[in-house]
Amino acid sequence: MNTQPQTTMTVEQALGQAHAHWNAGQADQAERLCQHVLALWPGQSDALHLMGLMAHAYGNLDLAIDHLRRACQAPRVPAVYLSNLGEMCRQRGLLAEAEVAARRAVTMDNTLVAGWNNLGIILQEAGKLEDSLSCLERVVALQPNYAEAHNNLGNTLKRMGRLDQARQRYEYALNLAPAYAEAQSNLANLLNDLGRPDDALAAARKAIDLNPRLSDAYINAAAVELGRNRNEDALRWIDALLSYAPLHAGALTVRATALRHLERLEEALADARRAVAAQADNGEAQNVLGEVLQALGQHEEALVAFDKAAKSLGFAPEKALINRGVLFMERGDKAQAKAAFEQVVAQFPRSASAWFNMSDLHRFQAGEPAITKMEALLFGPDPVQSQTDRTALNFALGKAWMDIGDGERAFAYLNEGNRQKRATFTYDAAATSRWLTDIATAFPAATFDKPKSPVAGSELAVFVLGMPRSGTTLVEQILASHPQVAAAGELSALNNLVNQLGPYPQIAPHLTPEILGGLGQRYLDFVRPLAGHRRRVVDKMPSNFLFSGLINLAMPDARIIHVRRDPVDTCLSCYTKLFTREQLFTYDLAELGQFYRGYERLMDHWRAVLPADRFMEVRYEDVVDDLEGQARRLVDFVGLDWDSACLDFHKTQRTIRTASLNQVRQPIFRSSLGRWKPFAAQLAPLLSALGVDPNAPEAAAPQVASPAKKAAPKKAAAPKAKAEAPAAEPAPVAEEAAKPARGRRKPAAS
Amino acid sequence: MDMKELEQKVRPMLIAGRGAEVETMIRPLLASGTGPVTLWALLAQALRVQGRVLEAKPIQEMLVDALPGHLSTRFDLAETLLLLGEFDRGWREYAYRYSLAHTTRIERKVQRPRWDGRPIPGKTLLIHDEQGYGDTFQFMRMVAWAKEKSQANVILEINHETASLARRMKGFDAMTVRGELPPYFDVHAEMMSLPMIMGLQVSQLPGEPMPYLSALPDRREHWRKRLEPYQGLKVAFLWAGRPTHFNDANRSMGLEMLAPLAQDGVTLFSVQKGPKEEQALNPPAAMAKHVVSLSPEIRDFEDTAAILCEVDLLVSIDSSPVHLAGALGRPAWVMIPLLPDWRWLQNRDDTPWYPSVRLFRQTEWGQWGPVIDRVAKALAELKAQKAQGRA
Repeated sequence: MNTQPQTTMTVEQALGQAHAHWNAGQADQAERLCQHVLALWPGQSDALHLMGLMAHAYGNLDLAIDHLRRACQAPRVPAVYLSNLGEMCRQRGLLAEAEVAARRAVTMDNTLVAGWNNLGIILQEAGKLEDSLSCLERVVALQPNYAEAHNNLGNTLKRMGRLDQARQRYEYALNLAPAYAEAQSNLANLLNDLGRPDDALAAARKAIDLNPRLSDAYINAAAVELGRNRNEDALRWIDALLSYAPLHAGALTVRATALRHLERLEEALADARRAVAAQADNGEAQNVLGEVLQALGQHEEALVAFDKAAKSLGFAPEKALINRGVLFMERGDKAQAKAAFEQVVAQFPRSASAWFNMSDLHRFQAGEPAITKMEALLFGPDPVQSQTDRTALNFALGKAWMDIGDGERAFAYLNEGNRQKRATFTYDAAATSRWLTDIATAFPAATFDKPKSPVAGSELAVFVLGMPRSGTTLVEQILASHPQVAAAGELSALNNLVNQLGPYPQIAPHLTPEILGGLGQRYLDFVRPLAGHRRRVVDKMPSNFLFSGLINLAMPDARIIHVRRDPVDTCLSCYTKLFTREQLFTYDLAELGQFYRGYERLMDHWRAVLPADRFMEVRYEDVVDDLEGQARRLVDFVGLDWDSACLDFHKTQRTIRTASLNQVRQPIFRSSLGRWKPFAAQLAPLLSALGVDPNAPEAAAPQVASPAKKAAPKKAAAPKAKAEAPAAEPAPVAEEAAKPARGRRKPAAS
Repeated sequence: MDMKELEQKVRPMLIAGRGAEVETMIRPLLASGTGPVTLWALLAQALRVQGRVLEAKPIQEMLVDALPGHLSTRFDLAETLLLLGEFDRGWREYAYRYSLAHTTRIERKVQRPRWDGRPIPGKTLLIHDEQGYGDTFQFMRMVAWAKEKSQANVILEINHETASLARRMKGFDAMTVRGELPPYFDVHAEMMSLPMIMGLQVSQLPGEPMPYLSALPDRREHWRKRLEPYQGLKVAFLWAGRPTHFNDANRSMGLEMLAPLAQDGVTLFSVQKGPKEEQALNPPAAMAKHVVSLSPEIRDFEDTAAILCEVDLLVSIDSSPVHLAGALGRPAWVMIPLLPDWRWLQNRDDTPWYPSVRLFRQTEWGQWGPVIDRVAKALAELKAQKAQGRA
């Protein structure tokens, strides 16, 4: 046998045999021959290189790099060794060293296809996209059937925002190599950006089928589900990944985001911290850690994480800088927020998310360059292609033209933005209307006549609910300015707890006092830590209006405040807004009107059946007209003593986390009243669905039920809070929707 | 109960074949239809050790669907599917045999692409065998088929022990022995990846030619003379497999258990090799006059092959000589456990792989007694037939 190195063998012969053994997968013999050569000739370049390749194949990357570095010190080192060193350094995240090595390789041999390919993906990771593009274009020119190079080119093009071209490259790569899992996975990521989640998921599944250990494919599948707010499904993909790679930083990062969406913030924090610990230089992980900390109200720490993310490579800096701005906004620091967004726009002029957030803070004037720039991003020679980016820009431009008062243009953008958003999900308006009716039927008046099981401490809970954009944030902030009241924001907690019981409202007849008591107890357990030492916690999730009756049964002493506003103003405001959470009924005027009618009927029912000392209604318009009167009414209703801090609600330092964020920082918006009238023509489908006649003199001011039993005493002498109207209603802040959800895009190196 | 605790308690029970008890323990915990992955996996195994493989399948498929990257689950599914004769997906999942905790380090990292099943005239294909001798004997038949399909120049790389038998087989252009440097090749295939690559179906078995191995004439002559003095039915036998085989406790038995085969008019020739071969030199008294140990005289598989050609029958547990007998077209009776290796399929006493092989299956976990009784009865019948034939 020729496995034992012969003493008579020359170095060339030994190396030739070592390579042949390694090609045949005979690692032992190959290694022995290499060691034989190195004993004769320490530092022999070819032997070190082969040892490096073998270490790499067995997953010992650090060792492999060590061998290759030494191999590349030889005076006659071949270009391909440098190219391989470059690729291994890239895999290790050593981009600077990688670039030097790969550049040396192609300088030495400018026909070295692998060298140009490796340099191309190193530059791509380093964010030098134009250079990357020219390297990879050279590769496919030299070797047109090189599937990996087409895939890598696709990744660079995608990073440049040239999605159509990227897609062609992935598809070309898959044509050449149908079982190419990485290209399938990258295509999945791209299809999601193009607004085709079902196709994206199918591609990700295919990638996993081809290679069940392709972690990026799991992450891309999870990103699809995150993007359409199916957080539990996203968790399933991630848990499948973590089952074989428990410390995968990318997976932990995505799980932290899904858990944050589900308001499982402590778990989210633990995962985000583990991700950062696993890979400190992972910008995505730092950014997500910041987002979780922000959700937990730990702002200083969040800013540190965002700053770290901003200094990383890839997509994280853009997202992190936007998050900084959103955080300043939440803290009420409008100037700093605006400066932050301007910085992002300067650094990332194509960042739709940055423009979108900035437009929210800005009151546009006719002829502003910002409008031209945003329009160029949609219709210029090199438009942005990501569907979420285009949708966000349409909403931003709708807001801008509305500021200027050009209803026709504003609605052209809004209609397009809404149409695009509406195309990303299915929604059955008729079924929803039936469901709202079913809820009322499931809780007839008699349900509330029975004696209720007392749930200890249920007076803690205060629910502010109604339609989105009806003024719930304003009412929350008035209450939250009281020293005995904590604002919990919009909680999904009640919705989640109800879902655990079974399908709603079909479960209604099966709700025993024990089940109801348990529901109330669990909700109170959830909010108690949020209350701190305060006596009331306000949950202002608007959609809790669905559960008003259930709230009263489960927590008899909880207070429910229904906020009402002119129906057309409410719906118009919904329509101009790109929501963070799913509000499926707001992206089509007719569906919006239909939903509103269903909501109105359900609230009529709750008003008729719920006790007046636990259910009150307040009109947004009345709050605007008579802040103090209504504030006193609210404070009295929740059972607290009056505190004048409630009139200075706009000074409250508490963070606001909702779409109305910039608005409540203003003292009060008188301009939000009757705002729809100039746009009556554009709102025709809504008006018809609501049954509103635009020409009627006092159209559709809703009648408000009689106030709570004990009317708040008005102080005659107190002056009414002065309301100012500095700006038209601002466009929304859609934290999630505005940030393009990008999956991972690791190129497959050859 | 804590999942770790439960698993620690249940694993030994499953190894001992106490599937029904485990099932009773676990079913209530999964009554709602949802539960931890570990529990489902334990339930699937509890069903498998009861021989209820068809019921285990949907659970295993669900586990693979939920955790596609958990590769040992995929290999477990492969075993179930192959056992059920579902070859298409079975072979695909069998590709994960080198992704298990104890196999990842032994996968051969060949630096050339794997053959994809398409014709590659003018190219060179290296087919290399893998672990057990039985596997090699069984799947050698596909080398000729691969040559036909690929139209390539085929190099067969094979272990040293079976190389001499393989050399006389047709269907390859060159042979190299494992460990030696093979000649240059363009693509490769592990021998047991050939079924996946070529889409092997049960209906294609046993395939042509059959038999595909042959014994050496001079060795046959040697053993014919060696066995000549013995009268009556000549039966070669073995009772123990390679002790390092993961399933050895389940497939092997003790020599003394085969006492019912020690019948008048029958000579039992031990062809057992390895640590247990000594047992045949000192058989239990009741067997002593019927047992002749050939073990010390057997130098290699050429000897075993020649013996198999000179005896009437091989009686064996599931071990490599069975495959050698099958490949030689010689009669063999195989005693297999309740949950057998995937290659023996289910609910049949013949095997599509080898027309000359007959299966005797356990009907209860670990119970060889009834199996041996059935073999003894069949042996008596065969003896009678043979006596009649001669009369």
